[in-house]
Order: sequence, then C-alpha cells, then structure tokens
Amino acid sequence: MWSYFANPERFDRLARALIPWCWGVAAVLFAVGLPWALYFSPGDYQQSDTVRIMYVHVPAAWLAMFAYAGLGGASFVYFIWRHNLADLAARAIAPAGAVFAFICLATGSLWGRPMWGAWWVWDARLTSMLVLFLLYLGYMALRGAIEDEKLSARAGAVLAMAGLINLPVIKFSVDWWNTLHQGASVFRFDGPTIDASQLWPLAIMALGFTVLYLALVLTQMRAMMMERRAEALERRRERRLELEAEL
Amino acid sequence: MSALGAIFTRELRLAFAGGGGPAGPAAFNLAALALAPLAIGPDADTLQAAGPGVIAFAALLATLQPAERIFSEDASDGTLELYALSPVGLALSLFMKTLAFILAVFWTTPLLAFIGGLAYGMDVGSAFVLALGLAFAAPGLAFIAAFAGALAAGLKRAGLLIALIAAPLQVPLLVFAAGAGRAAMDGTGLEGPNLMMALAGSLAALALAPFGAAAALKARLE
Repeated sequence: MWSYFANPERFDRLARALIPWCWGVAAVLFAVGLPWALYFSPGDYQQSDTVRIMYVHVPAAWLAMFAYAGLGGASFVYFIWRHNLADLAARAIAPAGAVFAFICLATGSLWGRPMWGAWWVWDARLTSMLVLFLLYLGYMALRGAIEDEKLSARAGAVLAMAGLINLPVIKFSVDWWNTLHQGASVFRFDGPTIDASQLWPLAIMALGFTVLYLALVLTQMRAMMMERRAEALERRRERRLELEAEL
Repeated sequence: MSALGAIFTRELRLAFAGGGGPAGPAAFNLAALALAPLAIGPDADTLQAAGPGVIAFAALLATLQPAERIFSEDASDGTLELYALSPVGLALSLFMKTLAFILAVFWTTPLLAFIGGLAYGMDVGSAFVLALGLAFAAPGLAFIAAFAGALAAGLKRAGLLIALIAAPLQVPLLVFAAGAGRAAMDGTGLEGPNLMMALAGSLAALALAPFGAAAALKARLE
C-alpha cells in the first residue's frame, strides 16, 4: 500500500482531488460547530461560559497528539522504505502539530486563569503538552539545522521515532509527578460523562479540526513538492544556459 | 569481545588524557549547585524543599555539557568509519564507547548529589537516597544526551540543538531521580518505586539510545 501511494504523480493527483474537499468540509464543519459551541450550546453549571474554551482546547489537544503519532508513523515509513513522500509528510506535519500544541497551551492558560486562579499551573497534562510542544520544536530545529536533505530526513526520522517511544513514558512520569487536571470525560470504558448538548458541538469541532489538519498537511505537502520541482527546473534551465554559452 | 574491550579502554584513556576525566562536567555541576542558592535565597526551609529538584536538575545540565564533543571528534577523524566496519557493529561499539565515557566522567554525579544534599539541608538518609537515585538516572541521562549529540554531530550551534532535543526526552529520569530524594525527605514512603522507575528508565535508555545514535551516525557516513 505504501508503495502504491509513494508514486509522486499518483499522490499529486489524489492530493489535488482531496484538497478542495478538505478545505470545504472543514469550512462547513466550522460554520456549524463554532456558533453551536460558542453561542447555542448551554454553559456549564459550574464553569458557566468559560466551558466554551473547551471546544477549541480539547480538539487542539487531540490533534497535537494525533499529529505526533502521524509524525512518528511517517518517519517510520521513511526510515524503513525510504519513500520521499513519507519524509514530506513528516516535514508538513511538524509545524501543524506544533501550532495545535501551542493553541492547546494558550487556550488552557486562558481557561486556567478564571478556573484555577492562575495562568499556568504545573499540572500533569499541561506539562506533558508543554513537553510535546518542545519535542516538536526540537524536531523542527534539527531539520532546519541540517542542510543536506537526505541527512536531515534520516536524522529527523530517528528523532521523531525516539520521541514516539518516549512519549508514553513522559506522560506516565508526569502523571505520577502531579495531577490537577480533570480526568478524561469523553473516551471512557463506561461511556462519556459529558452531556449530549455539549458532546455534539465538541464532536463537530473535533472533526472540523481534523479535516482542517488534513487540508493543511496535504496543501503543505503539495507546496513542497512543487517547490522541489521548481528547483529542479531552475537547475535544468541553468545547465542548458551554460551549455548554450559553451557552444 | 576484545574489540569491545579495546574501544572501552581507548575511551577511558581518552577521557582522562585529553578530556580531563570528570573535571569539566563535575565543575559545571558544582557551579550550578553553588549558584542556585544565590538565586533562590538563603532561607533554610526553602533551600531544603528545593534541594532534591535543584540537585537533580544540576546533574541533568552536567550531562548535556560534554554531549557535543562525545561523537564530533570521532566523526571528523574517521574513527566512526572503523567502528561501522568492525565486526561488532556500530550500535554495540557506540554503546561501549558511551558506557566507558560515562564511567570515566559521571562517577562524580552521585558524590556531588550527596554532598549537595547535605549542603541544602537534607538529612543524611534522604541525601543518600537522592545520590542513589542519581547514580541510577545519570547513565540514562548521559545516554540520551549522547543520542542527541549523535544527531547534532558536526552541526553549527550543536550545543543549543542538543539541549533542545535531549531535554524533553530526559523528563522521566529527572522526575524519578528528584522524586526519590523528595519522597525520602517528606517520608511518603515512595522512594522505593521512584528509585526503581529511575533505574528502569535508565536501563531502557541504555538499551535503545545506542541504536538511535548508530542510525543517526550511519546516515552521516553514507
């Protein structure tokens, strides 16, 4: 399956067909989800309107973690099969994931101020999100520091996989260290403890964020492919000009 | 086996001949321990409460300090090519090299932690537990730093990059090493599990980091 989509031409056709759909579906989901979440859904009986921050905060947190899994998965595929597209995907995912992690931290801090009485609390989940953000930054810094493209791809893949292995351990150690954040309320064995009037807008926002993420990554991947093609064309033109000059 | 022994003794000799043995990182560790109270303030209770954390953090910083040079010389003078060609393989060679480096350089870390613990007002028993925690955690911390050093070997501003790459990966070991000292000091009875987790994390780093470092350096050799 990897090899089937590793063909850049085939991927390009697929991406070109998918990208407008992704942007469109994301726009529709946000058009429905944002007003519902921010205006029509009921406030919480304890948190009143601040609960609305959750509709942005929770999807951003999910996406930040999901994107790291994607980064690690793409890196693994690149490391084993050396498909350039997997490396392109990893490079496109990293900034998107970092931004989602940042949104999660920023909205969490805005929510913490009225609820916990502090902009920042050294709570386990906040801290592990901060560490995840640092992992993204380290990955992007390493990719940026190595000029050679192949070497940068392989070093980045090794680092992303190491981060993926270590992430559960970090999560566990930080949980052990301190927990103030409320427990999970959506994905639980005994069913969600969150009311349907809040679960629906949350689900729509989460789906909207996910489709937006796909749109961002696919668009970025196509942009990088075209950039590479443009560079190749530029080099070919220069070589032709040199040859003509010699003649 | 003799190849691994040769790598081991070579690294020990190099560490003491050209690198000054434990002097550099130990001095760095000591300076961090000496400066922290000047920043925190002289209040005895605050210093005692902050002690395990500050001491474990200083030990972590000391492992980052030599990480830049651990592979950069071997990468530039061709030693790594020889390791890669040797029958024991690159990962095992790097494991032996890093292990020798750690034994030569970081044996001072538990000692400094014990002395530092006493200086920060911890009782002898909990200072000993903290020292034990760092004796367990230091090899893992150093192996993770070496892995980051392998990724950044030969790059400009490698030191900065190493800190950014290694710090998030070192979080669990820092948590459990400092946690052991704090648990012993507060009498919560959790020092045992903390020590075990520090040792487990360290052993996992020992087992995995050489393969990561080998993969990173092999990419450089091709």
